[in-house]
Amino acid sequence: MAEWINILFKAFFCGCAALGFAILFNVQRKNLAIVWIGGVIVGLVKFSVLQYFSASIIFASFLASLTLGIYSLITAQRRQEPLIIFAIPSVIPLVPGVFAYRTMFGLIELTRSVGPDFSRTLSETVHNSVLTLFIVMAFSIGIVIPYLIGKDLLNKAT
Amino acid sequence: MEERDAIEETNNSAFGPLLLDVGISLLKAGASASRIKIVLSRLAEVYHYVPHITIGSSVISLVLDDSDGNMMFNRSRSTPVHGIDFNVISTISRLSIAAEEKKMTLQELEKELIKSQSPQRYPRIITLCFVGLAGAAFCYTFGGSYTEMLITFGATFCGLFVKQQLTKSNFNSYLCTYVAATTASFFVGLFHATGLVVSPIDAFSACVLFLIPGVLLINSFIDLIDGNTINGIVRLVNALIHILAIAIGLFTTIGILNLKG
Repeated sequence: MAEWINILFKAFFCGCAALGFAILFNVQRKNLAIVWIGGVIVGLVKFSVLQYFSASIIFASFLASLTLGIYSLITAQRRQEPLIIFAIPSVIPLVPGVFAYRTMFGLIELTRSVGPDFSRTLSETVHNSVLTLFIVMAFSIGIVIPYLIGKDLLNKAT
Repeated sequence: MEERDAIEETNNSAFGPLLLDVGISLLKAGASASRIKIVLSRLAEVYHYVPHITIGSSVISLVLDDSDGNMMFNRSRSTPVHGIDFNVISTISRLSIAAEEKKMTLQELEKELIKSQSPQRYPRIITLCFVGLAGAAFCYTFGGSYTEMLITFGATFCGLFVKQQLTKSNFNSYLCTYVAATTASFFVGLFHATGLVVSPIDAFSACVLFLIPGVLLINSFIDLIDGNTINGIVRLVNALIHILAIAIGLFTTIGILNLKG
């Protein structure tokens, strides 16, 4: 499959994930399409940056959430809604589930007896946990920056 | 003149509890401390009051002064259960803007507020299906196959169903998260044990993502940066305990089924 088609597919499914969370959080029906688009934007930016700029996943997540933050800010102002309504469900596809799982699995492996693979498991676990932590921090900061910039602007409008 | 004083007195005694109601509704719905302060301050300004608001993790204290600085209202209220409901946050935020623009009377505001406190929720089956779809979508973005997506859908569906049932029975929220994580991962684990899932990592990591406390995490960052440090720390610790509960749920399944990498 061509790379750009793969990116489009992944972005589409990021939108579906955002939509699922929007329904879980009881976002109003009229705002669901906006949340879906937010999820697609997140997927497009993240996977494009990873594919075409060979950037780290931390930077890709930060850039994706920053773009989403700006999109949410503009939409929130236009529709007179709080920013988090659009930002939180759409940012959830950036959660580093695989790295978190690997960290947890590595920790379980470390509790078993010390064998020849212990050092490798230890270094992989530390690497995965640091990646998880930094990705979560990156996308949280990426959302908060546009929120802070537009705070005064939004407080009057939403 | 006496009649006007009587109306003002009624307004004073009715507006404080009403404003506290608004704050509690927002806190219950998962709004950040700064959002609650924005809405309460905006409403107080419409009716010419000066508010002093203190927000805790499950309590709001409100003092209302009139424009001359005389204290008109002073009370606190707490709320036991927190559930995320963006519809309430959205409706109340728009209501506060409408009150400002249309100069609503207190009675009109109260009427609209009662409507906003019982918002429509999506039917349960719709929520379960769409959250299941979200789980399957996560699985795809992690590189899972279509079979794994289907299994993740089922796992997420079952996990959320169990969580909703436990929440209805008023169990501890961390326990609900733990049991739901165990159920969802056990569902995937069973398929792995039967050989249908060759590499379960994508399905395992995707099936518990519906439990991630995203709202708590983002709100804690917003609260910390906005200077509501204690609220931010409380929410962050709360989110971390939920994440720990998810990890222990996965740990339980891996232990029971003796899964390897």
